[in-house]
Amino acid sequence: MSSSGTVHEALGACAGCRRRSWLLSALSVLLDFRAQDRARLDELLSLDDRDLLRSLGGRRQSELSARYEALSTEQIAEAPGVEAVCRHHSLYPRALRDDPASPWMLHVAGGRRRLALLAGAPVVAITGSRRASDYGVEMAHTLARGLAASGVTVICELADGIASAALAGALEAGGPALALPGNGLGVRWPTTKRPLYASLLRSGCALSELPHDCRGRRWGAVAGERIVARLAGLVVVVEAEEKPEEMALARAAGARGKTVAAMPGRLTSPLSSGTHALLVDGARLVRGAQDVLDLLYPLAPARRSSRGAVAEPGIPGLEPMLARILALVGTGRDTPDRLIEPGEDPAKALLALSELELMGLLGRGAGGRYVPRHPAWALEGAAGTHAAPDTLTAATQGI
Amino acid sequence: MLARAHAFTIDGLRTRHVNVEVDVRPGLPAFAIVGLADTAVREARERIHAAIRNSGYEFPNRRITANLAPGGFPKAGPGLDLALACAVLAASGQIPAVGLEDTALFGELGLDGSITASQGTLAVAGATRRAALDKLILAGTRVHEAQLIPGLHVAVAESLTSAVRVLSGGEPDPTPSRASRLRARGCERPSLLDLSEVSGQHNAVRALVISAAGGHNCLFSGPPGTGKTMLAQRMPSILPPLSRNEALEVAQLHSAAGEPIEALSSVRPFRAPHHSITAAGLIGGAQRGWVGEAALAHRGVLFLDELSEFARPTLEALRQPLEDGRVSIVRARHSAVYPTRFMLLAATNPCPCGHAGDGDRCSCSEAELARHRRRLSGPLLDRLDLLVDLHRETTSEGRLGSLESSEQARRRALDARERQRSRLRAHGIGLNAEMDAGALREHVRLDGRGEAMVSAARRRGLLSARGESRLLRVARTIADLDGVDRVRTRDIGAALALRPYATDTERSVA
Repeated sequence: MSSSGTVHEALGACAGCRRRSWLLSALSVLLDFRAQDRARLDELLSLDDRDLLRSLGGRRQSELSARYEALSTEQIAEAPGVEAVCRHHSLYPRALRDDPASPWMLHVAGGRRRLALLAGAPVVAITGSRRASDYGVEMAHTLARGLAASGVTVICELADGIASAALAGALEAGGPALALPGNGLGVRWPTTKRPLYASLLRSGCALSELPHDCRGRRWGAVAGERIVARLAGLVVVVEAEEKPEEMALARAAGARGKTVAAMPGRLTSPLSSGTHALLVDGARLVRGAQDVLDLLYPLAPARRSSRGAVAEPGIPGLEPMLARILALVGTGRDTPDRLIEPGEDPAKALLALSELELMGLLGRGAGGRYVPRHPAWALEGAAGTHAAPDTLTAATQGI
Repeated sequence: MLARAHAFTIDGLRTRHVNVEVDVRPGLPAFAIVGLADTAVREARERIHAAIRNSGYEFPNRRITANLAPGGFPKAGPGLDLALACAVLAASGQIPAVGLEDTALFGELGLDGSITASQGTLAVAGATRRAALDKLILAGTRVHEAQLIPGLHVAVAESLTSAVRVLSGGEPDPTPSRASRLRARGCERPSLLDLSEVSGQHNAVRALVISAAGGHNCLFSGPPGTGKTMLAQRMPSILPPLSRNEALEVAQLHSAAGEPIEALSSVRPFRAPHHSITAAGLIGGAQRGWVGEAALAHRGVLFLDELSEFARPTLEALRQPLEDGRVSIVRARHSAVYPTRFMLLAATNPCPCGHAGDGDRCSCSEAELARHRRRLSGPLLDRLDLLVDLHRETTSEGRLGSLESSEQARRRALDARERQRSRLRAHGIGLNAEMDAGALREHVRLDGRGEAMVSAARRRGLLSARGESRLLRVARTIADLDGVDRVRTRDIGAALALRPYATDTERSVA
């Protein structure tokens, strides 16, 4: 690249890469027309500035060229709290470095030093449907939490459903997490996502290749996918329908030779049709964080099969009545009416449900149905709140 | 010559005595009504003119001035017609003025001289008694309302001629029979629905009984067709009957709203306004004493179906009535206070498409769900005590049959209420739902385990401070239904399972 002069380490990005970022924002609307065709978008984003202008500029080509040439670097300075890092900088993630389709520069909220640190650890992308079921949300949350607690960096796009749940899970574990909003970092977040963003900045980074207040439209999210597919060493699809937009990330990662893993769901659930299709096509089946860790750090098969990747449903020390109710909820008898046998004293089952909820072993999902939670929740909740499980289990004995 | 007659005008729930004074003297023929009369009263001139002539009397061809005293407040409605007409007749010497002195007149005149009943008859009858007047003359169709007031002599007059006859000491018209009155109005009391018609949904039925026993506000949430409305409609059948005083109170409100009152009904009112209702329609308006649905549900049930479809300001308007048991409405030149001690029942879909939690049928996005939740989780949800989720039942559960009949449920609720009344008498309240912090401290003593559960719930963020007192009130009622003095751990557990909760999907934003 002609403009690849020396990068001032403190600035983070050289003039050429900054101009590139500006150019993308100037071409944002035109790029958006290409967002439908992912391969074409990838090609376009691998072009250098002049070719990109030529292929997209159309009637505005000369005007845009003039502005491009006249651009001064001060006009593309960073907003407070956001640092830049370009592909010529020593802290630019290695996984992106030698690829022409990688972004030339990234705007990083959370600091480029932290980005380098997080991208240096094993990175696992968690992805899936934006319209996830309670099951999917729970699984994504637990998986991300387990991975983050084991020191794995979790990367996701910033979308509703699985991605948000995964991000929240990773952050809860004190989170090494990377997120790609698909917009410039200064674009206002939806109200419901703001707390998530605030806690992301405490322990993770948000990345964008677009300047501060540039809207990514549709193409921003699609372009974000290519960054995720490159940064992640492994992609886990938690719950996805068999639709191109929900499968794109897994397909892109697969095409780049990355390991793709998927979580199974119910065969009757259309929400899991995509993950099942991936499994049929040879994706690795994962049941939880342990399975993912086994994929990242392969062990001898004999040793792997000897231990369960998912904790057994039984919780040690759980009072029999509670254990029975918990098991029943797990089999789908998840409403009081389904749990209480005719003629049985309803108060017993209701008390057990409430106790399990207080212990964090059950939560409430859509329509008020009880949803089993991962035991890790319970242990932490019990430790954090001093609500020792034995005090609670003792409560049922008086009935 | 001057004549006076007694009449009443309705102003919200207040009934005010009006002295109708008519002066007839020589001058150019004119008929003026003074004393802040509204349009309906001013139009009375034409009705009275025609009614007097068509009844065979003479309308004085002189200068007539009618004064409605006291002149300080506005008088509304056509109920003053009869008093005005009789005063005109007396002032022009066609009938003796003596009969008017201790008689109240209430009714609207037709052009042929017939008398029609006006709304608010019950209130007028009560006021007549309080004003120490001997007799009330009114039309036959509403005479039964007036007869609810003990010690009042009610005379039926179907026409101006009959009224004149009664005033001069003659016989009143016969009281119409109940059957003919019902025919005339085309209304029949609906038979009460019964809980035994509800099959399955036992959890919701139990919650309904808890709600009825302790007076707790309750929200049903579930997909369409799961029986939310069906359950709510059966609430009156398990509520204890109204006492005589309560019944009179209710009847007065309904009479003021223009509803025909047959007899004192001991069945609690059940109001189910459509969700397009405005705030004024719900809580009432000051103008002309518009009685809102909240007041009409006084001592009974206000049922809001499709709660999330109600306009936000309408629901916000319910906060004071829910909190204080009354609502005071103040407008520029008017104010009114209505009692609103009702139990709130509400039903809603769990999400905009209605199918959340119903397998994979829900097609709502996260943003739509969040919007739906925001609509509900405002200050109103904060005032609900019970949240019951209803689910579509599988075929095997459909054979569950009904839990109990209304008769059984009502007896249990009555017993529970009796326990509450004797316990809470010292606090001047009768229901667990009305317990304040002091009463809660005194009457809801938890054992160590119950205490541990409540504090665990608080620490887990499942309960707010307000939510905690609601939980304790509900637990108290559950214990009362079982006939137990102490609130046990299992009562806390059951109350926790029924608390208004925030769904877990919010966790992803935590």
